Amino acid sequence: MEKMIYALLSANTDQKEVISLLAGRKGLSGADLYLVSTAEMAVVACDIKRDDIIANSYNAIEYASVIEMLAQHFTLLPVRFGSVMESTDAILQMLERNLDDIQQNLLKVEKKYEFGLKIFCDSEKLKADLKAKPEAMSKKAETADQEITQSIYRDWVNKKLKEHRLEEMLLTYVDSVIAEIKGHLCMLQAVSKFNKMKTSTMIIDAVFLLDMERKDALIGAVADLQNQHSSLTFVLTGPWPPYNFVDFTVK
Amino acid sequence: MHDNIVDRSKDISILEALDRVLNKGVILTGDVVISIADIDLIYLGVKLMLSSVETMEQLKSGRSIKEIQ
Repeated sequence: MEKMIYALLSANTDQKEVISLLAGRKGLSGADLYLVSTAEMAVVACDIKRDDIIANSYNAIEYASVIEMLAQHFTLLPVRFGSVMESTDAILQMLERNLDDIQQNLLKVEKKYEFGLKIFCDSEKLKADLKAKPEAMSKKAETADQEITQSIYRDWVNKKLKEHRLEEMLLTYVDSVIAEIKGHLCMLQAVSKFNKMKTSTMIIDAVFLLDMERKDALIGAVADLQNQHSSLTFVLTGPWPPYNFVDFTVK
Repeated sequence: MHDNIVDRSKDISILEALDRVLNKGVILTGDVVISIADIDLIYLGVKLMLSSVETMEQLKSGRSIKEIQ
């Protein structure tokens, strides 16, 4: 029987409390959840047969809900869905081999929670707004016209240049929003990761790691940002276990 | 105002949770992950993440999960 791994915890965690929380929960296969621990580390696992692991959204959410329930009480490293080890011995050996990485990552996320922020907009409308805005655009465009007056491809080149400049303006705008967000995050002592222009409508996809007691301050900051940028839609989610801030692969 | 911004409503939370649990977190390497029930979870995860992003954008435009499906 294989062991499905849910999360890694410090051995300093109150193991009696973990066991009592797990008592009412079942793993994916319907088997009991339990702790496997060494002197320094512990993992939450359940017995499972490979054939019982069906990778569908129901099972993934069930799996995530166990991690979330534990994360509400303890600092932990969430493990990706589908992580299975052959035996308890294999788990213990894995904990020994990866002790340093696990401890460092646990320290990094101790008593912290992850929040996600996605910012949406109609990028075509935003481009039109930016285009209509200051003189900068038209001045740049004039310069471009003069630069290529002699070219037979002037119209085509001008069109491409204008498109390129609009993209640049959009990126500059996105960077300015990110800078504003970072200004707020700095005060919250949050760690952050940003992705820009993930799709044409999702201009920013960010994750933050911060102390739980700063949650209300984060909400307030996002509310302020939303008020300042009425053409954007801010979607803040959380608190989540720190999925995006555990950056190591177990050996 | 705050209630509108901290959107832990069911639809978006499920998509966000799926993105995280399938694509993030500690990774156990080796054949254990890849060979589970003959399903390549990494591939499944990427596909699911992409569809989640698309779905979220449709949710933003006011459509419910049922309408999208």
